[in-house]
Amino acid sequence: MSLHYGEPQVALGAVFAAIALALGVAFAVIGLQAGTDVSVERVHRIGYRLRSRWLAFLVVVGVLVLGISFFALPYPSGASGERTVVQVASGQFFWTFTPPSVPAGTRVRFDVTSVDVNHGLGLYDPHGRLVGSVQAMPGYHNRLDLTLDDPGRYVVRCFEYCGLNHATMFGSFRVTPR
Amino acid sequence: MEATTAPVGIPAVLHPRAAEFTRAGARALERRIGLLYLGTGVALVAAMGVLGVLMRLDQATVVGISQAWFYRLMTLHGAGMLTGLLVAMMGALWYVLRETVPLRAGRMLAAYALIAAGALAVVVATLPGGFAGGWTFLPPLPFYPAGQWSTWSEAAFLAGMGAVGLGFGVFCVDVVEQATARHGGLAGTLGLRFLLGRDAEPPPPQAVAATVVAIDGLAAASAGMAILAGLLCRTYDAGVAFDALVAKNLVYFFGHTAANLVIYLAAGALYVLVPRYAGRPYATTKVFVAGWMGSFAFILTAYSHHLYMDFVQPEWAQVTSSIVSYAALLPVAVITIYSMTMLVWGSRYRWTLASTLLYVGFAGWAIGGVGAVIDSVIPFNFRLHNTVWVVAHFHTYLMLAVVVWALAFLAHLLEWDSDRTVSARSRAATVGLLLAGGYGLTGTWFLAGALGVPRRYALQPAGTSGYSLAGSVFALVFALGFLLFLIQVAPLARTAWERRGERRGPGPEAAEPARPAERRVPLETGLQLAVGTAVAVVAVAAFTPQVRDAAEAGAGWHHLAHSGQFLLGGALGLVLGSLPAVSRRLGDRSSLGLSAVLAAPAAMMLVMIPRVYESLEAHPAEHALFHAGMAALGLVAGLGATRLGPVAGRLTLALAVAMTVLYAAAVTGGGG
Repeated sequence: MSLHYGEPQVALGAVFAAIALALGVAFAVIGLQAGTDVSVERVHRIGYRLRSRWLAFLVVVGVLVLGISFFALPYPSGASGERTVVQVASGQFFWTFTPPSVPAGTRVRFDVTSVDVNHGLGLYDPHGRLVGSVQAMPGYHNRLDLTLDDPGRYVVRCFEYCGLNHATMFGSFRVTPR
Repeated sequence: MEATTAPVGIPAVLHPRAAEFTRAGARALERRIGLLYLGTGVALVAAMGVLGVLMRLDQATVVGISQAWFYRLMTLHGAGMLTGLLVAMMGALWYVLRETVPLRAGRMLAAYALIAAGALAVVVATLPGGFAGGWTFLPPLPFYPAGQWSTWSEAAFLAGMGAVGLGFGVFCVDVVEQATARHGGLAGTLGLRFLLGRDAEPPPPQAVAATVVAIDGLAAASAGMAILAGLLCRTYDAGVAFDALVAKNLVYFFGHTAANLVIYLAAGALYVLVPRYAGRPYATTKVFVAGWMGSFAFILTAYSHHLYMDFVQPEWAQVTSSIVSYAALLPVAVITIYSMTMLVWGSRYRWTLASTLLYVGFAGWAIGGVGAVIDSVIPFNFRLHNTVWVVAHFHTYLMLAVVVWALAFLAHLLEWDSDRTVSARSRAATVGLLLAGGYGLTGTWFLAGALGVPRRYALQPAGTSGYSLAGSVFALVFALGFLLFLIQVAPLARTAWERRGERRGPGPEAAEPARPAERRVPLETGLQLAVGTAVAVVAVAAFTPQVRDAAEAGAGWHHLAHSGQFLLGGALGLVLGSLPAVSRRLGDRSSLGLSAVLAAPAAMMLVMIPRVYESLEAHPAEHALFHAGMAALGLVAGLGATRLGPVAGRLTLALAVAMTVLYAAAVTGGGG
């Protein structure tokens, strides 16, 4: 299965590229003007005024982005309830899913653990787009709630370095059509 | 019109106004140790960079490396690169801090020896030994080698990393001890007294930065020592086991914080060196102090964003980490980087090889920081965690900021000593290659990370080798820039060597930094001695039958009781060593004191294994002696701490006790 860009990742990449470009331009402009002669008083007058606005801007962006992000946390809440629990066990270098498939549209709770070292469950949808990841830890059960609407084969790759065959530690989970 | 000739004592290669606030010349000692550290750091970075290029070429299937060797190289690359950058930045900070703070050359050489021994052990463990557990050695992976490495290489790697941590710790203790003695205690050195209006004169910015880095560095090194000691115990006692979540917290608290601190170490040097080319001094202001106090806390608390995808970590901790990770951006973006651009803008900046690299490093820090902040928002992290996006962002601020600054610091020393720089064309070629190669390489990782390519893969997912191939080409371009840098500075080094006899001597203001007139102890007043005694009395509880019985509930509780016994000894040692009569007898044995406060908790943790104490349980007298031994080690640590002055003494003993408590939390195996 070849990988494809997911929409959230494309959006994040575009935002990052835009900010990086803006920063690059800002540093280039300041660098080009570094050779000029500006009095320290003027630098302070302009610089300190802009700094307050820069701080205010960063605080507002932070409050907005983090505030919204707290409504979209991937953590499970409450008991499994009507969710179908899929037990996921991992080890050097395998994945097992019990049950191995669910019907499309099922509200799933992955109950993920490891029998040896730390692994990471990286879940790709049938189109090869990364849905998300959760760690598999020995002695702990990490629970990930998802609703899988697209039928097909979901591929799992290991997302935590676990030794020799880390890069080939595949698994798969099937979502059947309703 | 500015003068075109520099005043006597200041090289003409610097900004003419730099003479107004720059000391005429570093003493030979400062320069030699600075060069030793920077030279070693840059050499290590170069060697580890070669491994990095090899790995990228392997991912692109241009060269063929077995998976076993790929992961050995990956482990060495991570550990070695962090060590190289740490060493380079320690050298840079030493060089600028020693202008005002009497740091000890002996301590720097001891730290160097420890780090060199540690680095050698890591090389032996990975290359011939085959250890490939990753530089983060995430427990319990070192003990699941899948047939790839043996116990001795585990032990060599862990001991090596421990030695590197100890070396850094030695440097940090000296910074705390000497800076606080020089600048009127902790509140004075951090600028808090200035912030509150109690001091008219602020401490120099590099002293504030160095003290924050040193204290945070000691905290991180303590966590690292605790988990490394536990892992070392496991190499000779299979009964030792770990709580995976606590162990992961400790590993990332140590690893993330150490990697993060290399940038803050550099910041301390930047406050001194950039002004030399901008001709404007960097002054400590109240906003600056407030910003660094924020960084003080944020550096220590941001690490747990590495555990976002460990859903069993309490949600409040995840949300707090998300806020703190963003907040950490503010002092950097609003104070350090922003104020550096104010320093440079319209300054008639002197563009030399060093000053150009210093400036472009700020862009690397800022752009890499944006990539990190995006990854630190939890829903975004859900889709980027452990993809090569992570590799992209940390390579952006390590390669394009810290590595570039390491080269800049080295170039600065050589430009100063040779009083010349390279031609504008050579400078443009060098910097151009470094930037094109560096941003090209990290750009391929950002793209592949957004695509969902996982990190630390010897074999890349089907259809993605193009990213690795493009990355390899860019990595080679960066390597070419690095090589060109070395070729460019070689003539400067030659000139500097030829001019060593006529080197400008230090001016009158460059006298040896004043050493404190009298040795002070951690507990000076009657109240402080009473508090120390009270702590010892409370800690006696660790010996009571009730606590001993309760501690049999599990290995963790048992180890915690040992910590209580260590605390009793430590508090007693601190009180006794602080008494004037005892202190006079102990004398000024600072190095011995430091050795004691480092070695005693290490020894305690290394013998705290089921194989030792379980065999004693059938023998009450020996068992009691074992517990008394824990207190005795505490006593040694406490007495040693009294030789380190008020701030470093209390801090190192507190961290020694904390280390044993962290060990108790992480190491769960064995009987009670």
